[in-house]
Amino acid sequence: MLIALPILILFPVAIALALMDGRRKPAGIIAIAALAFATAALGVLMAKVAIDGPQEVVAGGWSPDVGIRLRVDALGAIFALTTAAVLLASMAQAVAAGCASRTTPTLTVFMALGLTGLFLTGDVFSFYVFFELAMISAYGLTAGEGLAGGRFRAGFIFAVVNLIGSFLFLIAIGALYRATGTLEMIEVARRAAEINPNTAILLAVTFFVAFGVKLGLFPFHAWLPSVYLGVQPHIAAMFAGALANIGAYGLLRFGGVILPRELELGATAIIVLGGVSIVYGAIQAISRRETREVLAYSAIGHAGYVLVALGLGGPVGLTAAVVFSVANALNKTLLFLTSELRGKFMATAFLIGALSVAGVPPSAGFFGKASLFEAGIDAESIAALVLLFVGGALTFVYLFQIYQHDRWRPRAEGEYDRDNLITAGRPAQRTVGVIVALVVLVLGLWPQPLLAVADQAAAQIEQEAPR
Amino acid sequence: MNLLYAIVIGTLFGSGVLLMLKGDLFRVVAGIVLVSNAANLTLMASGLTRGQAPILPLDPGEPVADPLVQAMTLTALVIGFAVTAVLLALSLGVYRSGRSVDLDDLSEQETEEALEREATDIPPDEAVL
Repeated sequence: MLIALPILILFPVAIALALMDGRRKPAGIIAIAALAFATAALGVLMAKVAIDGPQEVVAGGWSPDVGIRLRVDALGAIFALTTAAVLLASMAQAVAAGCASRTTPTLTVFMALGLTGLFLTGDVFSFYVFFELAMISAYGLTAGEGLAGGRFRAGFIFAVVNLIGSFLFLIAIGALYRATGTLEMIEVARRAAEINPNTAILLAVTFFVAFGVKLGLFPFHAWLPSVYLGVQPHIAAMFAGALANIGAYGLLRFGGVILPRELELGATAIIVLGGVSIVYGAIQAISRRETREVLAYSAIGHAGYVLVALGLGGPVGLTAAVVFSVANALNKTLLFLTSELRGKFMATAFLIGALSVAGVPPSAGFFGKASLFEAGIDAESIAALVLLFVGGALTFVYLFQIYQHDRWRPRAEGEYDRDNLITAGRPAQRTVGVIVALVVLVLGLWPQPLLAVADQAAAQIEQEAPR
Repeated sequence: MNLLYAIVIGTLFGSGVLLMLKGDLFRVVAGIVLVSNAANLTLMASGLTRGQAPILPLDPGEPVADPLVQAMTLTALVIGFAVTAVLLALSLGVYRSGRSVDLDDLSEQETEEALEREATDIPPDEAVL
């Protein structure tokens, strides 16, 4: 029952909010309340999964073969919790700043519903349905909360590129069903070992491309900067902190659990692509001056780290992928939420985010980077270690470059602020920024829960994967 | 039957991609619709089995056609409709803001706007960087 609770709360609230005018305060407050409740429920669920192991419920009391199955293990729970928390923070800031569109609260809650469902489902096809729900809400948010000028263009590019990814994913699901004869994730993983190797490789590549598009990896990244730059910062925070998790989770679930042998086979290619992503993202970020553009390219670069961790593989690599994804989601949220706000508190919060991305203790990002290094050492891959070090150094350069550029000198009026976004922010906006910064710091000072859950998730993946 | 399906799906997917590469928003939308239908047909094709209709009461002993793919395709079709509607709404938005559906025109406008903005921007103070 506990598994279904967040979904059962979010669904009716999202529908009710669709009928309300989101620009008014009540709608925003209802959305925040629903998201806070879902986050709390997911926190309890997370604790339960950490203590009692995977939870499962079959809707309507049907027999498990027939009914719609919700299933959550440590991997799904940690991603769901992070995503819900990120959406809660972004929504709170959207309301504090004043929603630009009447659809913002409802679409955010729908996106939370889609993402929560996707992380909690035990069925491959339900995964697709929830995934589309989250994506369509994102297209709507881009159009509604976009900045003047390019908002529809950004939304259109976003929708077209991601739809191609979605249809590839749908085709891959059809093929997976054909090859295994079932849609239930555990059963699919069990039977995947017997798929004809050629078919399995084609399947793995299709899944990889589908999730690569969502994650914004190097060859599939073209849509990402224009979208992140074309929307309000709190919407960009939702995309970078919550929506991008689909890619990381999907790669871990479909690559790590269902097709691990193909993942191992393609490890070199995956590490190379990840490396190119890291270097490309960092170099592009260095060459930009507009904060949000730098952050967008930074997101491309950081997608590469997840890929490198996945390519290094083994329990340590998978743990690193989970820890890094969670830390990265929080960092990106913090940076986007504070990027356009000024004042000493916001400057400190932004600096904490920048230090966390660069991997300086005590911050959540330090443990993300540390676990990546651990994975590199464990795999005895000097190339990966060099890559991580170079990537980290470049991150340092671009983040402090924009910090210096934005906050250490007087700014001429209108300079690099085309959309008039830079303000001191309302007190509520600043409070949200400070709270997210505190979460990043607390996770850096007390990382045991996160590391333990990530270890559990990696062990679970290893256990479920066919051998 | 498999061959027929493969040819139809291939043609649909290929035409869809071709349309997506054209410089016109509505053609891009039409291309997405074709690709979406190619994906739906692929789902159908993934469960092509001969047998009686899967409606109770069943004739024991005779094989039953796979009902699951039809349920999946139905769901995917509905999602496809919704997505098409969203895309058309977005195209309308693009048309209203740019008064054109031609991608070349739109990118030209975008370049002009960027140049205009650059002219009004104050150059960054390189000395501080």
